[in-house]
Amino acid sequence: MLNEERVALMTRMASYEAGEGKRNMQIGRFFRSDYVSIQVLKAFISATISFCMVFAIYVYYNLETFMENLYQIDLLAFAKDVLTKYAWFAGTYLVIAYLVCTFKYARARKNLHLYFNNLKKLGHMYQK
Amino acid sequence: MTKLLEIREQIKFLYSKAEWIITPVAKLLAAFISLNVINTRMGYMPRLDNFGIVMIVALMCAFLPTGAILLFCSIFCLLHLYALSLEVAVLGMVVFLLIYLLYLRFAPGESLVVMGTTILCAWKIPYLVPIVMGLVGGPASAISVGCGVLAYAFLDVVTDNAANISTMADEETIVRLKLVVDALLANKQMLILILVFAITTIVVYVIRRLPVDHAWTIAIIAGVIFNMVLLLVADLFYELVEFSFVRVFLVSLLALVIGMVLEFFRFQLDYGHTERVQFEDDEYYYYVKAVPKMMVPQSSRTIKRINRTNYVPEEEEDVREYAPRSRRGGDYDETEEYEEFHEEFSRRRSQEIDRELGYGFDTMSSFGEDPDRPPVRRRRNPADAEDPGDFEELF
Repeated sequence: MLNEERVALMTRMASYEAGEGKRNMQIGRFFRSDYVSIQVLKAFISATISFCMVFAIYVYYNLETFMENLYQIDLLAFAKDVLTKYAWFAGTYLVIAYLVCTFKYARARKNLHLYFNNLKKLGHMYQK
Repeated sequence: MTKLLEIREQIKFLYSKAEWIITPVAKLLAAFISLNVINTRMGYMPRLDNFGIVMIVALMCAFLPTGAILLFCSIFCLLHLYALSLEVAVLGMVVFLLIYLLYLRFAPGESLVVMGTTILCAWKIPYLVPIVMGLVGGPASAISVGCGVLAYAFLDVVTDNAANISTMADEETIVRLKLVVDALLANKQMLILILVFAITTIVVYVIRRLPVDHAWTIAIIAGVIFNMVLLLVADLFYELVEFSFVRVFLVSLLALVIGMVLEFFRFQLDYGHTERVQFEDDEYYYYVKAVPKMMVPQSSRTIKRINRTNYVPEEEEDVREYAPRSRRGGDYDETEEYEEFHEEFSRRRSQEIDRELGYGFDTMSSFGEDPDRPPVRRRRNPADAEDPGDFEELF
């Protein structure tokens, strides 16, 4: 026979445990601002390195063209164009990283809070 | 079905018991196979194609985290590419670093999926990956599968153009780079496969999460059909290279079998005993559908206790000597034997007393030598036994 109250608790806990139980424990040790800042900073470094690598390949790929038209190229406009693209790329990636990290943190905290409460309740139920 | 469930339980039990050895061995095999595939497919640096080196690296991977397999596979790839051309190696490093920095850093657990997809692409059977990942992974697995296809496409482009790259002069560094980059950007098949696999993974994931009966079975069948149809349509419009419908069909069948095996181990439910309950607490109203898992109780050993009424204490050796008939079976009258035993026992006891008192020695000569002496048996109370250890000696 099903214990309805226990099933309600275990339904919530199972949905949590099936996901990111272990990782949430690690996330839960940080304050929200700390966690998101660290992750966004890491994302910024990653985005910068990635863009630099792709840009280096692009320059090397078009090296002959650059060398031939070096004096005709408006370097300032080119730099502005590259920086704009970098800003778009990094900005988009950081926004995605920020959203993902904020979402992950909020979910981790909420689930951890519920999880520990439910764990206590379940413990009391089994003691009865 | 019961037998299969019993086998499943036994396998689970064995795995839980030997997990400490199974996991390293599985990692060792995965690393060994992956490195051998890389050496066989690329092999531009002959020194790496050595059993000893591969085995040592595989052994290291067995005891390191799972991500180490991807790391060492990447290093092997880069070394082979370096032996072919420095520019191609740099390009390869950029591709691998982009995959790591932009995706795997957020999902380190998906490294095995990326590597597995690349290896299965090399074996020309990547069509089962989206089905399997839709079942055991999440929606993010679609990106992992895409990264695997990208990595394979890059290595495939390099191996296809290896002859051209190696014959180019050393000064033609930019040409070598352009050759690979152009071939990679013009590879429509890669983009189509990434798209098809991503859609199939998400479709399988969404269906298997639906709250309907037999969701996993529906997801597997739908995923296989969806995958085949999408690939056929893609082939119709873009004429995929090395596309064989027979191979896709056979691999899809394999995916079906693997999916069923996964379902059997992870989601075997007894829909015949579904229970639906409704209740509420302060915050929610619950409509719970509880479907029991198919389980069989594990067979347990039973200890049978032998009846101790046959116990004969060792100190009564004379009684054991007279008790074989009842042990041999056959018809006999216990009451008669009991009376006979007492007569015989009383007689012998009186003879012993006579001997101790110094008379009646002549009667002792016949003790134990009478071949016609009737067997006797004494009924004993087991509670009188003082030493249970004698019981074992008797039997």
